[in-house]
Amino acid sequence: MSALRLEEVWFGYDDTPVLKGVSLEIAGGEAVALLGRNGVGKTTLTKLVVALLQPRSGVVRAGGRITEGKAPEDVARLVAYVFQHPDQQLFARTVWSEVAFGPQQQGLSQDETRGIVGDALERVGLEAFAEVHPYDLPAAQRKLVTLAAAMAQRPRVLVLDEPTQGLDRAGVDRVADIIGGLTEDDVAVLAVTHDLAFVAEALERAIVLEDGRVAYDGASRELVLDEHKARALGLEVPPAAALSAALGLAGRPVRVREVMDALRGERGTGNGER
Amino acid sequence: MSVRLEGVSFRYPGSETDALHEVSVALRPGEVTLATGRLGAGCSTLLLVIAGLAPHLTNGTRGGEVTTIDRDPATRDGRKVLAGRVGLLLPTPWTQLSGMSFTVEEEVAFGPANMGWRRPRIAETVERAMERFGVAHLAQRDPRTLSGGELQRVMFAGVLAMEPEVLLLDEPALELDPAGAASMYEMLPSLAEGRTVVLASTDLDRAAAAAHRALLLDRGSLVADGPAAEVLGSDGAVATGCSTTIAEITRAVGLTPGYPLTVAEAVQRMRR
Repeated sequence: MSALRLEEVWFGYDDTPVLKGVSLEIAGGEAVALLGRNGVGKTTLTKLVVALLQPRSGVVRAGGRITEGKAPEDVARLVAYVFQHPDQQLFARTVWSEVAFGPQQQGLSQDETRGIVGDALERVGLEAFAEVHPYDLPAAQRKLVTLAAAMAQRPRVLVLDEPTQGLDRAGVDRVADIIGGLTEDDVAVLAVTHDLAFVAEALERAIVLEDGRVAYDGASRELVLDEHKARALGLEVPPAAALSAALGLAGRPVRVREVMDALRGERGTGNGER
Repeated sequence: MSVRLEGVSFRYPGSETDALHEVSVALRPGEVTLATGRLGAGCSTLLLVIAGLAPHLTNGTRGGEVTTIDRDPATRDGRKVLAGRVGLLLPTPWTQLSGMSFTVEEEVAFGPANMGWRRPRIAETVERAMERFGVAHLAQRDPRTLSGGELQRVMFAGVLAMEPEVLLLDEPALELDPAGAASMYEMLPSLAEGRTVVLASTDLDRAAAAAHRALLLDRGSLVADGPAAEVLGSDGAVATGCSTTIAEITRAVGLTPGYPLTVAEAVQRMRR
């Protein structure tokens, strides 16, 4: 059974439709990128998934249940949402109570809550900041607090809006690791992003929206390798993949580590700078 | 020199460490200077100090001497004289909205109108700025209904409409899609004609090519200052993750420092 399923979803804020019949299906354990140009409706789609918006027509199912008519707090047991900007989301006085809010609302015992919160903070590397006020942390760490809070809801589906925005290299690597861990736990991850380099590293599948419809749904590797298609969809081939293509590396690696390995192999055979 | 810092330190209220620590640097018109470093390095603070918003709005304490154009931007006199001559674009465009305008056109005109310009001059500058940033078709929209990328371009147009002599840009492509980001960075060198541009960014795969000069900061201290290719291609920058992906790859596979920053440079170097 799919963790998330949209069937012919239509939506518009006024008379102009933004989404014109979007269908997609994501299984538990899948990490999927949602891509597309500014204003194409990516964030709108995620708000439909978490029932902050209701479709004009079509059906949204999360964890096998139709979300229409359900309140966001009921959908929250199935789907967790990390806003693009942490300040749209944070409200508690300490990092710990922010992350504990979800489990507490779900009526879990104190011991269970402690365990879940501890685990979530460890995954994002903020164990040492449990008693700090979220707003005393830099923006990048505030973002990780919201990610920990979403994980602590233990959702079937986790929706992330621009999870790497404003993070430096180390932060991006951490988010990639966290997503890897979640998919091992069978969580479905849907990440809105413009960052095709991050997609190539961390998300196996990519869905691209264009003019209100799904214009691409397939392996992110294929998208990254097809410069013509990527450009036509307003995307940029990331540097590692572009270097791989320019040098004609065997097996066409697209991830940074894989490109490094391939280059080491080639340079070992004397092809390269001496 | 249009911006000069001498031994400048800055500390936010309640903090036990300097966000900027004894930074000395002089910037000239005609150049795009990139300020980069890991998160918390002090790049955004540098912009706020040059603009005078730190400490004026942030509070905190500043040491050393700052001269922006011809004034200390933190003094009352400096703020008055420099208003409009120093333009700052924040990375979060909605925090920069005036809150006073019903349309995009009014928002872009907000700065110029407050500078007391005559109507024809305002109209002309606003139109030009909106066209430059591809937001002319949004002129009658309510700015609060725009997407993040649209709003970031509108706010950039608004800053540029004031025709500032010093332009301070904090992650100006954060909200933009790849095509929008590419065209914004391509435009930067032309914006630096007769103007001092300082760009704070960790988006180095894109920003590196747009910069003439680079400042590398580490926990508030300026650790490198020079031509962008030199600073970003250095072993120190690449080893700390403050360079491009291509530099990181070529360093890992054993090229020597002076690492290539772009695919084209890497191909040239590796085929040599």
